[in-house]
Amino acid sequence: MCSANLQRTRPQLRILVDGILGTQTEHVAPPFRASGWSQFLSVLPAVLRKLHYHTDADALAVIVDADASAAHRLAHVPRDGANQGCRLCRLRLVADQVQNGLTKVPDRAPLKTAFGLAVPALEAWLRCGLDPRAIEATLLQRPDAGTQTLRIQLKQEVYGTNRPSPEVRMARATEEARRLVQILGEFERCFPDGSGSFARDIRSW
Amino acid sequence: MQSTPLDPELTLQSNGRNLAGVLDQLRDREPERFEKLNAEMGRWLPEFDRILFDTPVSGQRTLLLRTHEGHHKIQASELSQGTLISLAILTLAYIPDPPAIVCLEEPDRGIHPRLLRDVRDAMYRLSYPENFGEERAPVQVIATTHSPYLLDLFKDHPEEVVIANKLGQDVSFERLSDRADIDEILGDTQLGDAWYSGVLGGVPSHQ
Repeated sequence: MCSANLQRTRPQLRILVDGILGTQTEHVAPPFRASGWSQFLSVLPAVLRKLHYHTDADALAVIVDADASAAHRLAHVPRDGANQGCRLCRLRLVADQVQNGLTKVPDRAPLKTAFGLAVPALEAWLRCGLDPRAIEATLLQRPDAGTQTLRIQLKQEVYGTNRPSPEVRMARATEEARRLVQILGEFERCFPDGSGSFARDIRSW
Repeated sequence: MQSTPLDPELTLQSNGRNLAGVLDQLRDREPERFEKLNAEMGRWLPEFDRILFDTPVSGQRTLLLRTHEGHHKIQASELSQGTLISLAILTLAYIPDPPAIVCLEEPDRGIHPRLLRDVRDAMYRLSYPENFGEERAPVQVIATTHSPYLLDLFKDHPEEVVIANKLGQDVSFERLSDRADIDEILGDTQLGDAWYSGVLGGVPSHQ
């Protein structure tokens, strides 16, 4: 498995993927990184091509923060080119377009993908089960939904500060990811279009 | 890089002078901090695993970095500018008594863009010591940059970003958080991209 996301949370992402799959994956861990959403979207085609042609990775798992973008809805159909404001649909559209254009490599199965959209940021997921307000629908209805104020508040709640050290960031997120895989049902119910969608992608592998 | 005289009162100079001596002092006086700095240095610059010292002449110190593979010792004078700047920033962040104000001109200079999050965190270690388990007064850090990548890392803290608008010989400064329209303008756009485009100002002009 190859994982990538916008923050340095690869161990946590792997914990979530392994927890959803119920098995331990081998982590290819190419050191891909992007600085923010727009850059990630622009490098995704190159990442997919690199994985397809130059690695034996089975799958790519990605979680991105929604920030102020439109929420994903189960009714969205990425292939029709609509929902351009939805990051999840855009990721899926790009992945579909790129993968459809790849030349078949002998003995290589198509790369599987899983995309998750954390509303408004990964920290909201990390609060699931601890804070009754950490629910996708509730977060989207807040007056400060999509604002920097809410993202900062979530960081404060998860890390105890909105400027956490790398060690604190990593330790807390790892700890919470381990907790989340123990309550996957609740986690997917609280974030049906985010973690729920991500989990469905992974289970379809 | 020149050697540093051995002097118990050495401080890091604005041009990086005395770096070897300050690190040598840190190793002797605060070995735990020195080890943490060493470990962090190894993470920033994975080709190296250790800061070493040499005594080229009596009463002088120089520093070397040991390569992870082969344990080759590289003299400071042979290291890249970015490596030396990284080491200086890390040293400032880890010494127990940094100056009250630190001014960094282009701290991204010569540094791989992927290291910039670590550079930012080193600045935060100085400014928000309690978040890093430090018990000392916060340091006022003033840094200049022309790097959109470094700017991106401050999107959640527009109060920490001041745009310099140069018009001919004049310059005016605008704190990003003072702009009422900042959320509207940015939306999904990266802060660095927005600055580069000119919509936030900060593009020198002579008119």
